[in-house]
Amino acid sequence: MSSLRLYATRARVEGLVILLVGLGYLWEAHSVPEFYHVPGVPGPTTFPYLLGVIFAVCGAWLLVSPKDLIERLTKEPDAGTALPATAAEPRRGLVARVASEWHLIAMWTVILAYLWTMPDLGFPLATFAVLVVFFYLLGETRWHVVLGLAIASTAIIYLTFKTGLNVRLPLGVLDVQAGQ
Amino acid sequence: MLEQLLGGFAIALQPTNILIALSGCLIGTLIGVLPGLGPAATLAMLIPLIFSMSPATALILLTSVYYGAMYGGSTTSILVNIPGESASVITTIDGHKMAMQGRAGPALAIAAIGSFIAGTFSVVMLSLVGKPIATYSLLFGPAEFFALMVFGLCTVASLTGTNVLKSIITTCFGLMIATVGIDLVSGAARFTFGNPFLSDGIDFVVIAIGMFALTEVVVTAREVRSGVRAEIIEPKGIWVKWSEFVYSLPSIGRGTVFGFLVGMLPGAGATLSTFIAYNIEKRLCRNPERLGTGDIRGVACPEAANNAASGASLVPLLTLGLPGGGATAVMLGALMMLDIAPGPLMFEKHGAMLWTLIASMYVGNVLLLVLNWPLVNVFARVMRVPAKYLMPIVLVVSTIGVWGLNYSDVDLVITGAAGVLGYYMRQHKYPIEPLVLGLILGGKMEQAYRQALIISDGSNWIFFEKPIALVLLICAVAFLFLPVILKKSKQFAAARATAEAS
Repeated sequence: MSSLRLYATRARVEGLVILLVGLGYLWEAHSVPEFYHVPGVPGPTTFPYLLGVIFAVCGAWLLVSPKDLIERLTKEPDAGTALPATAAEPRRGLVARVASEWHLIAMWTVILAYLWTMPDLGFPLATFAVLVVFFYLLGETRWHVVLGLAIASTAIIYLTFKTGLNVRLPLGVLDVQAGQ
Repeated sequence: MLEQLLGGFAIALQPTNILIALSGCLIGTLIGVLPGLGPAATLAMLIPLIFSMSPATALILLTSVYYGAMYGGSTTSILVNIPGESASVITTIDGHKMAMQGRAGPALAIAAIGSFIAGTFSVVMLSLVGKPIATYSLLFGPAEFFALMVFGLCTVASLTGTNVLKSIITTCFGLMIATVGIDLVSGAARFTFGNPFLSDGIDFVVIAIGMFALTEVVVTAREVRSGVRAEIIEPKGIWVKWSEFVYSLPSIGRGTVFGFLVGMLPGAGATLSTFIAYNIEKRLCRNPERLGTGDIRGVACPEAANNAASGASLVPLLTLGLPGGGATAVMLGALMMLDIAPGPLMFEKHGAMLWTLIASMYVGNVLLLVLNWPLVNVFARVMRVPAKYLMPIVLVVSTIGVWGLNYSDVDLVITGAAGVLGYYMRQHKYPIEPLVLGLILGGKMEQAYRQALIISDGSNWIFFEKPIALVLLICAVAFLFLPVILKKSKQFAAARATAEAS
């Protein structure tokens, strides 16, 4: 039953977040300056108001309905399978959870870091780095394979897209050094 | 008319033009395979090339690339569960499951066959009834369009989710993202927080790659690590069996007809047609509970709809000058650069050109089938590359897909955020497809909504006074709440169980 309670709590939190996002969206729509509105003509905020209200109402519904959710879930025998792996052991401390999920967190950190730094660091360097880390995270531990594959893939992808499809890929750090 | 068509064939079958069509199909297929680079982006990249060509050759190149890219998009859906473009999102549901069961070959083959049948059908229809039928789309005013889009979104919401409320939430969120940027009517900057990179709005590719490609990379990586990643069974037969072909033939037929009808409506486009066709298929076919578990009909139907709609979307483009989607919009731009203004007078003014285009579409369909016969084999083998090597490459290529759009840092950051959000949504049963479709349709939907309100002096009753709009809205609500009403029916329980398993 504790997993069900967790499910309901999470639905409540999700509902609250959705409600707040909806209200924030409505607030942003409200702060569009008055002079963009032409009287009698649907302005730039007419459609957003409609969306924001629907979104916020859905969030509010999710926030107040978990009781109903629990009832429905207890009736369905397969409800437990709908829960993710993390919910199976919800009572452990934060540190333990982070430790058990380090792989997931590491992957997202690497992906986000790659997307964040690629334009500045340059495509070849950033891609080489992200490939090395990812091959390793995916269980390839032979270093000569990891490095060889990373270098080869970076070079092939770079040349294909740069020369073949004319995509402007930044050289970043390498470019600066070449210019000096 | 037959004479004109034969004249068109005479030009389309010249050796140079066949060569152009062949390379166009090949380029289109190869680029369509790359996630994020769909038909619209591919066509846009080719525009500088066509200046040096004669108008007929240029048109042949554009249509063959368009066809090739539409087909190529389904390949990645089937093999790596990442739609190459928005119209093949639905194909991932059954296509990828088939690949996991060792049936990648038949899935790719039925996609090629379905595309061929539907493509040929739509070209025949285009040449027969294109002109008279164009008047039919004039019946659709802004109110009807708005209702049509509401209908489309509701069918998607009821199809993809297990919980209607969550589907509505994600659809709505997609529409909200679509409102970011400068309002084209009034010029007001909305939800940009003063960031100039946001004033152009957020391209759906940016979100789609984050939500589909990045999450797929992470989900697969976790499966590889924990050892639950199902080993891909070596494809047994590459080509489709005769019994499977007969089994999926009715689905191809339905997908073709619905795809053509929906695709002909300007603004609806191929994406919407696949969603609607799949949903209708689910209600009409025998054993609907099998759809979603790797059923070959789940590939045949949307792929047929996709290609029928691609052909059909040329009807409003050529007769009304209204593009049905991103790719046809780029084609419209290219046509105008070639000094051909599509519109009601196109059949009179540029008749020869038009028939060449239609003839080249027949040729393109045949070439695509011939080309894909050997390629099915090649693509099915790509599947044998272990995920631990394939997935990091997918990550890098997807990043290039986003970067190549606008060369904007902000796009990359948004993709990352969409990836994290998409991962959470996938883990907690919030469907992603409605969000992406909402984002695609948002701009047009708002435009139609506002135009309708201008016509009615701000009264929302206009959507209930127009008969077509009213019927569409009633159908939309019915689709949305049908699952709730049918909850107790056995058939629905089975369909729901399969949806939950996906």
